[in-house]
Amino acid sequence: MSGIESLYPFLYGEAEATSPAGDTGGSVFDDVRRSTREKVAEIAALREQVIAEYAEALASCAIAIAASFAGGGRLWAFGNGGSSTDAQAVAALFAAPETEGAVCLPAVALTADVAALTALSNDVSFDVVFARPLAAAGRPGDVAFALSTSGGSANVLRGLAEARHRGLVTVGLAGYDGGAMAEPGAVDHLFVMRSSSVHRIQEAQTTVYQVLGELTRRALGAPAGPATDG
Amino acid sequence: MNTGAVTLTARDAADAVRRRGEPTRALAGQDERIAAACRDMAVRFRRGGRLLTFGNGAATADAAHLAVEFVHPVIVGKRALPALSLVGDPATLTGIARRRGFDDIFAAQLRTQADRDDIAVGISADGACTNVARALTEAAGRGLLTVALVGGDGTGAVVATPGLDHLLVVRSTDPAIVKELHVTIYHVLWELAHVFLEQTEDRRAGAGR
Repeated sequence: MSGIESLYPFLYGEAEATSPAGDTGGSVFDDVRRSTREKVAEIAALREQVIAEYAEALASCAIAIAASFAGGGRLWAFGNGGSSTDAQAVAALFAAPETEGAVCLPAVALTADVAALTALSNDVSFDVVFARPLAAAGRPGDVAFALSTSGGSANVLRGLAEARHRGLVTVGLAGYDGGAMAEPGAVDHLFVMRSSSVHRIQEAQTTVYQVLGELTRRALGAPAGPATDG
Repeated sequence: MNTGAVTLTARDAADAVRRRGEPTRALAGQDERIAAACRDMAVRFRRGGRLLTFGNGAATADAAHLAVEFVHPVIVGKRALPALSLVGDPATLTGIARRRGFDDIFAAQLRTQADRDDIAVGISADGACTNVARALTEAAGRGLLTVALVGGDGTGAVVATPGLDHLLVVRSTDPAIVKELHVTIYHVLWELAHVFLEQTEDRRAGAGR
């Protein structure tokens, strides 16, 4: 037994029955293994639900995004926290594709510009950090791509409202019951991951935006991409 | 570009999502490896270690996401843990790339920032990122706990890192599918590392410390 194992023997598979707490439900390690399998099953089921509810909507949203790029449009992605990293992944999906030979399409993550984010937060309000850049640079026919697990982030909703006001196509990814993003008139193409786990919501959202990326490229006439397994 | 040339249907969309099915089911078979990584990460946090994350391209976003999971937990009541992504500072990244080369952008930061109790997590969808492999090698040499999230057939420079502690492989050649399952893996790493961490705290409290 290593030094660490002798310090924390219960972490290294010793039966709970021998522990001071006297549990009999198997080791912590076994509980964690089971929990891992359960979470994997949850995300598999959530993806099936996304197919059942949104297969048609995914196709029409991809056609709309493709039409925007074909018409010279640009895509703007935004979100907070973990969703800010997804916004960057969305932009990279189009602007810096990892598939060999894939065309680069103009997409920008509003979350990547720390100078603009902090300037607006400091001088005006955090609620305008997405709306203001869209007001400055968004053009009719562009795409505003919003991610929020709750569907209720004030700055994301303000960004979407500004985008609609300026004639952009709006795409919204939410979770739970969709929150304010699901209210009529908030967003043109809405995808709600019907889960109460922020983690499973984000995982399903990742699938949605990557499938949208793949379908958009197909709508633009590109090869289907690396659909070689699975 | 002509969007009229290709028609897309609901079936195309459903098929695209369904390609995730088999690799997702296969991930459940890695429960033991994932649990072992969570356990060892908890031990490092207990010793005061920090989490350091890195990756290229789309995995840059994952490195940042993984770090913020630990710093700002989405589940109320979970304690914040120290984590830093090595991808967040363009001044540092481009500065190192210019002077020392792109292959050194993460290893150089580890040499400056890392302590031996820290945890290094490298993310590489194809397992071939030289800068991720070099950083993990540097980390292992310094005594950090090293974790690699890769995809593909489980080969490549990252997989071959000498002294790598934990290798988690998503068996798919589609980088999009690899990324999605990496998100699930690191969400689980966060949540279940806390389970182990809380166990150590409960036991120490129980022992009257």
